[in-house]
Amino acid sequence: MSQTIDKVLVSILRRRFKAITDEMSIALAQTTRSPILCEAKDFVTGLYDAEGRMLEQTENLPILAFSLAPVCKYIIDYYGDNIYPGDVIFHNDVFSMGNQNNDVAVFKPIFHNDTLVGWAACKGHQADIGGAVQGGYNPNATEVWQEALRIPPIKVYEKGELRKDVWDLIFANIRLPIVAEDMKAEIGSCVVGERGLQAIIERYGIEVFNLHKEYLFDSTEKMMRAEIKTIPAGTYKGESTVFFDGKNPGSTYKIRVTIKVLENGIHFDYSGTDAQTPGFVNGTYSSSASATILTFLQMVNPDIPHNEGMIRPIEIEIPEGTILNARYPAATTYGNHLCPNNADAIMRALSDVIPDRVTAEWNELLCALTTGIDPRKNQAYVDIGFMGLKGGSGAIKGCDGYDHIGMIDASGGILDQDYEMFEQQTPHLLLKHEYITDSAGAGEWRGGLGVETQFTIGSDNTRVVTFGDGDQEPAFGARGGKCGTLNTIKLIYPDGKEYLTTTKDLIEGVGKGTIFFQQAGGGGGYGNPLKRPAEKVLKDVENGVITADKARSDYGVSIDPENMVINETETLNLRRQGDQ
Amino acid sequence: MKFKIGIDVGGTFTDFLLTGDDGESEIYKVLSTPDDPSIATLKGISEMAEKRELSLKDFLQQVSTIVHGTTVTTNATLTYSGVKTGLLTTSGVRDALEMRRGIREEQYNNRYENARPVVERYLRLPVNERIDAQGEIVTALDIEDAKQKIENLKAEKVEAVAVCFMNSFANHNHEELVEKLLKEELPDCYLSISSSLLPSIRFYDRISTTALNAYVGPILKRYLDALIRKLEAEEFAGVLLIMTSNGGVVAPQNAIDKAASTLLSGPAGGPVAGVLYVGAQGYKDCITVDMGGTSFDAAVIKDKKPSMTTVGEINRLRCALPMLNVVTIGAGGGSIGWIDESGLLRMGPQSAGSKPGPACYDLGGTEPTCTDADLVLGYLEPGYFAGGRIKLDKAKAEKAISEKIAKPLNYDLATAAAGMYNIINVNMAAAVREVAVKEGSDPRDFPMVVAGGAGPNHSCMIAAELEIPLMIIPRESSIFCAAGMLMSDLQHDYVKSYITRLDQAESKQFLKLFAEMENEGRKVLQSEGINDAKISTIYALDLRYMGQYHEVKVEIPAADIKNCNWDKIAATFHPIHNRLYGYSLEDEKTPVELINLRLNCIGKTEKPVFSQRQFAGENPDQAFKKYRQAFIPGENIFKEIPVFDALKLEFGNRLKGPAILEQVNTTAFITPDYSVMVDKFGSYTVYNKNLEDEIVKKIMP
Repeated sequence: MSQTIDKVLVSILRRRFKAITDEMSIALAQTTRSPILCEAKDFVTGLYDAEGRMLEQTENLPILAFSLAPVCKYIIDYYGDNIYPGDVIFHNDVFSMGNQNNDVAVFKPIFHNDTLVGWAACKGHQADIGGAVQGGYNPNATEVWQEALRIPPIKVYEKGELRKDVWDLIFANIRLPIVAEDMKAEIGSCVVGERGLQAIIERYGIEVFNLHKEYLFDSTEKMMRAEIKTIPAGTYKGESTVFFDGKNPGSTYKIRVTIKVLENGIHFDYSGTDAQTPGFVNGTYSSSASATILTFLQMVNPDIPHNEGMIRPIEIEIPEGTILNARYPAATTYGNHLCPNNADAIMRALSDVIPDRVTAEWNELLCALTTGIDPRKNQAYVDIGFMGLKGGSGAIKGCDGYDHIGMIDASGGILDQDYEMFEQQTPHLLLKHEYITDSAGAGEWRGGLGVETQFTIGSDNTRVVTFGDGDQEPAFGARGGKCGTLNTIKLIYPDGKEYLTTTKDLIEGVGKGTIFFQQAGGGGGYGNPLKRPAEKVLKDVENGVITADKARSDYGVSIDPENMVINETETLNLRRQGDQ
Repeated sequence: MKFKIGIDVGGTFTDFLLTGDDGESEIYKVLSTPDDPSIATLKGISEMAEKRELSLKDFLQQVSTIVHGTTVTTNATLTYSGVKTGLLTTSGVRDALEMRRGIREEQYNNRYENARPVVERYLRLPVNERIDAQGEIVTALDIEDAKQKIENLKAEKVEAVAVCFMNSFANHNHEELVEKLLKEELPDCYLSISSSLLPSIRFYDRISTTALNAYVGPILKRYLDALIRKLEAEEFAGVLLIMTSNGGVVAPQNAIDKAASTLLSGPAGGPVAGVLYVGAQGYKDCITVDMGGTSFDAAVIKDKKPSMTTVGEINRLRCALPMLNVVTIGAGGGSIGWIDESGLLRMGPQSAGSKPGPACYDLGGTEPTCTDADLVLGYLEPGYFAGGRIKLDKAKAEKAISEKIAKPLNYDLATAAAGMYNIINVNMAAAVREVAVKEGSDPRDFPMVVAGGAGPNHSCMIAAELEIPLMIIPRESSIFCAAGMLMSDLQHDYVKSYITRLDQAESKQFLKLFAEMENEGRKVLQSEGINDAKISTIYALDLRYMGQYHEVKVEIPAADIKNCNWDKIAATFHPIHNRLYGYSLEDEKTPVELINLRLNCIGKTEKPVFSQRQFAGENPDQAFKKYRQAFIPGENIFKEIPVFDALKLEFGNRLKGPAILEQVNTTAFITPDYSVMVDKFGSYTVYNKNLEDEIVKKIMP
């Protein structure tokens, strides 16, 4: 084969890489056991070249979009020449490019004729990783050891041999036996990736592979630069607020971003962001940079391949010691959940610059975990309240927000528990899971609807853990759109007393019969609500997701709720007045 | 003489396979009539009568069976043209239908809207009642409230009502009470009751399926009633059967009652036909692929059983009735080639459809399509496409590819067309790999059965990409699904949830649930004219390890079910879990949990016999047409290659690629890596040259 580029082969290789990372992803979803892996798919699979550059990846949740490549490069530096066929390496350490303690990665080097040619890797959120509290969410933690077992890279297999002592050491420090099973599944997924890449290299030869891979990076980079070119050059600033660090009531922290759109790249600089918190509400460089990238990716062509070339034009600077890049040995488990706040700052910075591509703000995450003993089976249960946490997305020009989608870092990738499975897996009785009327931020395009969840807790001595934000500041509206509604979680005890939780809370000993009540707010609206076609407003009123009062006050549409007809004259007047 | 007719209504053509009890068969194709599909159906049958110089009445006298695959429910769902439907559900959860568990399939696309629900929110009415997970009543049904809500639906003039209450799989009492009220108050409404349609756990699956069923039920009823009237007017006295999504057939009334089971009625014939064609050569497993004008379907068959799913979707809406597991991607003859922002070539998923169609149709299309590339590469004959019904304009194809692909890439015409051909093949291969991997299978182990007008032109390249050594292209590949319909048995699927640790299941309850399902199945099959001797049953359980979330459907021998032999049942489950997921927990003695009981009741139908051909020897010369210039992938040059009239090839004939086999409705391009031998049913067996000895031995008489 001569040293010329066959552009068709580049397209074919791109499709093949994607097929392999998808296949790795299917394998992992089918074999894992923890619901956060097999149901919520909180994992990423990828292929990397010998230098650790991303060839392709399948990130089921966007927050994982940038969580493997930096670790791969770190591992290559760490081991130097000490990498052999048959090695399997674990890693989770947030102070060596990991993103979250519970996200444990597996890396498997790929060899062709004794030469390192690439890496297969995957990373999934494990049900437990040691530390003080099962599951890792420990609002009382102040340093990493209270959260997790640190795994800087370590070989669990070397040259194909299991290092049983190492394996046993790791799993001796983890509570749940299913974690070992799910890590075996991760290794299996890497084997699938290894076979796939080896088959490609055998077929085309290493020279052709390398040459075309470089061309793929270059062409993707070109595509990304072309996208960036469509954004007016300039310097834009945005700011958002993180409420409550889990320790000091009323505390707030600012995220400040300066975005420089240059001739051939984009630069995100977080200088000026507030210092890290004393608790676990801290990001790592990887989790924060992932949040930046996923937010930006929603503003460009969704079709860009996810490889090294995509990242090249993007530079991200996050000073160490800030809430987005905490200094060793800070606690950081909350870090992924700073994504909504980070996205908020970026969207505020760019909403006037590329108004067609920036959404109003999304509802921020507020999640609850309930754990206890199911009296029906006398067995422990853990429930992650996916259905409760999913509020509405922000509207965008030309399109309403998505109802009940959930936080931007998952963008609809995490699903509700099925109601009947929920009542099998937990002792709770679901009372309500419905859209909240008037929760969507008004706009020419309205925000996505929020949801209300209520269930009766069915176990005594139940523990409720909350983590998130969004109870102080609703999702903002864009370009004249109005804001959404707030997040709330409260417990209504059998005697009628209520307890309003904070957004980082740990409540022990909650009794049977207590009602868990949660509202996940709606997303922000986009554009002047007076411009929304009256028939669309009428349809929402008919469907009971907007009240006639709100139609009148926010949208200037007068509707008779008895007959569901628009009073045209009054509407015309209301809208004329509103415009003045 | 007695005839059987298989009818497959497609988007463009309605296909017919007519078989006689002498073993001869004929293919008919007429243009579909989407406004009233029964017009094309009757037209095709009339053509058969005309050919025999019989009146339609006299011909129909000789027809014993008509099996009909229909797309009326599919189209009603895809185009949201079902009826105005009401939904009654438990107070507090009426939005589950629309929420779809909160998924957004395109995560980076902020303009991707949610799928529209088939029942608007103002017609989804909550009823006060509640049953818990164990089937105990928490809040008794509020009859007055239910009556009020029914009044509301009456005022809205709905044509169908779906009823789905929480945990009704465990206790259907409240749903039955409401059904009674509905029958009194809305006697003309189509009713869809979740506990009789799909009495299994998972609320979203059940409510979505029940609502879809209501939404399309009256549409199917109207269509089938009209068709039956027309056939009866012509004194048809044979049996009319309807193809369902599970690959079986049912009587029209049963199809109407479970209208959602016909959502995949059309493509369901494909995998069934696949079993037939590979079976002829002694294989039990295969992959079927079907490449038409806009889409490409792939399915896996193992041990003569097509792979099934209970989490199927149509138009992003869940249908949890068992359906064949078919993966569909946007790749077909009409797929458009384009250059993306990074300057690389892509194919589809956009399609030029049949209007304006590929550039070479000369109907105003200017986008370069897969068919244009096939034409430029010499795989298609301009005057012989779709039997000459469509004249292809090669200059138009060249122009579209030159301007839109070759110029921007700075390639010559042939290289650009070859690139388009290669990329669409890789896309299709990826879809096949996906469906195989999800089943835990390696595609290399499976022969591939190729169907659809465009399939045989691309199948060698798909097979090469997947390293599949063997393909079978049926002589009837262009009406593949219609053939499958005639091979289908009557089938009824039943499910009931019973959630318990397997070794703690109560035998009495377990056997009672199976007995209920079996009685129902036998009753329905008898009503369809099947006597007991021809009825068989397949038992299956949905099982998982305690603590797991996903369950696995496991077929269990009847004896183990009847003896409630929990140990043997668990012993069947462990190795299946290991095969699918790479491990089992047998040694760790993790208890097995039972979720659902499933029964598949089969009524054997009489199958057409296909006559076998006379062995005609190796030499294919009688079918040789001419030489034509065609592009050879891999060598990247045009060469003169032989073109054969595929219908003149006989049993035993052998030829080597590169070659082209032309038929009225399809063309097969055989690459240099593959050879062809015709089997006793006239199917073209395409095999990797390394397999020559093995294949020839197998096919020889």
